[in-house]
Amino acid sequence: MAYASVIAGSAVIRGNVRGDTSLEILGRVEGDVGVTGDLSIGPDAVVVGTVSGARVLVGGSVEGDVTGTEAVIVADTGRVIGDLVAPRIGMSEGAHVRGAVRTEGAPSVRSVPRAISEPRSAAPVERPRPVVAAPPPPLAVAVPAGTVSKPAAAAPAGAKKAPPPPVIPAPRPGVRARKKLARR
Amino acid sequence: MAGSVVGAGLIIEGEFTSDEPVVVEGTVRGTLSTSESVSIGGDGVVEADLQALSVSVAGQLTGNVSASSRVDIQAGGRLIGDVKSSRFTIADGASFRGNVDMDV
Repeated sequence: MAYASVIAGSAVIRGNVRGDTSLEILGRVEGDVGVTGDLSIGPDAVVVGTVSGARVLVGGSVEGDVTGTEAVIVADTGRVIGDLVAPRIGMSEGAHVRGAVRTEGAPSVRSVPRAISEPRSAAPVERPRPVVAAPPPPLAVAVPAGTVSKPAAAAPAGAKKAPPPPVIPAPRPGVRARKKLARR
Repeated sequence: MAGSVVGAGLIIEGEFTSDEPVVVEGTVRGTLSTSESVSIGGDGVVEADLQALSVSVAGQLTGNVSASSRVDIQAGGRLIGDVKSSRFTIADGASFRGNVDMDV
């Protein structure tokens, strides 16, 4: 395949490379690479930075996310430390990839961290629930506040009885939640 | 060796070093240095300090140039900057503004 632009094997670029062209990198780029045409990263090439192109062929080393609007192909000599995002993704046997891989069309930056955080959030999933259980206490506080006027001695007593009920329905699902509330 | 080709539409911003020839039909900003030749095509734009063995300018070059062999501005070429090279030619129809130092 003929590429309109070539960064030779001896070339070192510290900075960004972008444009509406196809590009073959045989040297080293320390910076982001973004082209609208096809992008080839040769076997001895190194890119430290994000990489994007239409069809991205990774034969060399990339430390950064790789995005292809059409495809990303990691050759057996390829090495990627970063996420791969493209409608079509190919990985040859021997390829080295460390990162999230998503076969998707329009890449959304947000969903990547979500995918990564899912396994971690599995344990602390119950933390949000205490937050839901939080409302009752303010209510309990609000009731005594209204009784401060001392209109009757029975009123405060009733108010004191009032708080427990909201606590009782909450406990079973929120037993842990109460404990955590106490911590907070 | 084929060397590097900065094709039309490609923009490189930063520090570009190489040991092979460089052909610029696109845009290079920053610094450009190679131990071989640099050729700036008719549509090429270089806004960079340039160091090379030889430099040929048919497009636009803004920046100081140092060439150990020669610098040639082709007809239609445009160079704004100082030139430091023992051999320097300016073709008829080329434009140039800057200082020349041939005492290398």
